[in-house]
Amino acid sequence: MSFLRINNIGKTFLGERKEKVIALSDLSFDCQDGEFLCIVGPTGCGKTTLLRLIAGLEQPSEGDIILADTVIQDLNREATLVFQQYSLFPWRNVIDNVCFSLEIKKIPKKTRYLKARKFIDLVGLTGFEKALPYELSGGMQQRVAIARALAHNPKLLLLDEPFGALDERTRHRLQEKLLAVWQKEQKTVVFVTHNIDEAIFLASRILIMRDRPGRIDNEIKVDLPRPRDRRSQGFLKLHIKIREILEQILITNTNNQRGVL
Amino acid sequence: MIPIIIIAVWEFFAIQANNPALLPRVGDVVNRLIHPFTDLLNTGSFVRHICVSASRVVLGFILAAVIGIPLGLLVGRYLLFHRLFSPVIELLRPLCPIAWIPFAMAIFKTYTIADMFGAHYTTSIFGHIQLGMLYVIFYGGFFPIFLNTVHGVKSVKHLYIESALLLGADQKKLFKKVIFPSSLPSILTGLRVGLGISWMVIIAAEMLPGSDAGIGYLIIFSYELAEMDILIASMILIGAVGALLSYGVKVIADRTSVWQAKER
Repeated sequence: MSFLRINNIGKTFLGERKEKVIALSDLSFDCQDGEFLCIVGPTGCGKTTLLRLIAGLEQPSEGDIILADTVIQDLNREATLVFQQYSLFPWRNVIDNVCFSLEIKKIPKKTRYLKARKFIDLVGLTGFEKALPYELSGGMQQRVAIARALAHNPKLLLLDEPFGALDERTRHRLQEKLLAVWQKEQKTVVFVTHNIDEAIFLASRILIMRDRPGRIDNEIKVDLPRPRDRRSQGFLKLHIKIREILEQILITNTNNQRGVL
Repeated sequence: MIPIIIIAVWEFFAIQANNPALLPRVGDVVNRLIHPFTDLLNTGSFVRHICVSASRVVLGFILAAVIGIPLGLLVGRYLLFHRLFSPVIELLRPLCPIAWIPFAMAIFKTYTIADMFGAHYTTSIFGHIQLGMLYVIFYGGFFPIFLNTVHGVKSVKHLYIESALLLGADQKKLFKKVIFPSSLPSILTGLRVGLGISWMVIIAAEMLPGSDAGIGYLIIFSYELAEMDILIASMILIGAVGALLSYGVKVIADRTSVWQAKER
């Protein structure tokens, strides 16, 4: 029995001129409990929409999303989404941002600060506890957002290109930390990224999406042993394979457009 | 620089006019101002009049805030409340508070808060807080507070609301921990503007018949007795107190919303 099941979902929006925009169509996949799923695909293929649907922030126009045997009809309380945009509460300092969910759960201040410090340390921001979000760089803000999501401790962690704004070294370090948390806490992760390298390093399985309308094009199981070596033969082979698939998607798109014209 | 020019021009014309009932000398006005506890025209001192006016404003303003902020939060957040209140509010908003003064006087006569609690309090400050005045101050302060609160709630970024919900917040917590703090800078702007308007409205209300104290009353009374130095000194005091009130709210606002100024 899969933990998360996406069942033939479709999502249609009304565009600015009231025209129908099909963001997702006939999209299905399963995700096992404890799996680390990465989703890659061209820009505008509906990756973010997919995450929003899983989080229950929006409802699919067709099909349904089933999490642990329940159809998601409202906000998904088992999931937390780390947004691509900076979503920290600007009036709260770093530690109080990380503490937000603990505060909601009415955990006493001492305990929650202790817990929050652990996650702040995990994302490498010890010493910035009292800083307000505007005092941090974009990458640092995103790390706080990840710490905040981890402190909430959801069963399902949804991440929308969380490391996009980071430099390569920090990104690599955070990838390792995220993997450590995933392995230790037995979480299920759905991770959207542009970065093929990142997907191979992290994922147990990679889903490749295509656009217009957004749907699953291909699925690749990553069997490389962990910790993964980015320079190993298997890693590079996989990289080339995914790149080829993505390029193929781009080519068919261009052809389709020509056909329309 | 500009104040010096104004004072110089004033002094020049005062000397030319040579008539303190028309335009008093700067020195005469300053002399009034440096004796704030001296009784004026048998009505009490500047300090007393200011205190009477300020107590009216503070009470009416608190009333406006206590009703305006919660109502603004509800109207800004819930469509039902928006539909219920916004037609009334759109109709009342263009109606200047001063236009209400005659009506308020007709309805409330000269009833004071003291009258409500019994004559025992008549000699206290409550004996000077007329319900009609309270009403117009409330009315003047209410709209800026209410409208800024609504605006604040409506400008809360959707991203913050979604983040909070995904971190486990329910509607109540959402209000307390996201919507309120996020709208706070806007609410404080409303309070500042509202306090300014309340202070203007009270002066106008005190000038009307039925008033027996307050800085607005002092202005109109000294006008009737052609005591121009008291009149001008009162005007200066009104400006000073108004600026002080505004500055006070601003200090609080700046302290609580550093983040807002710096937010991209």
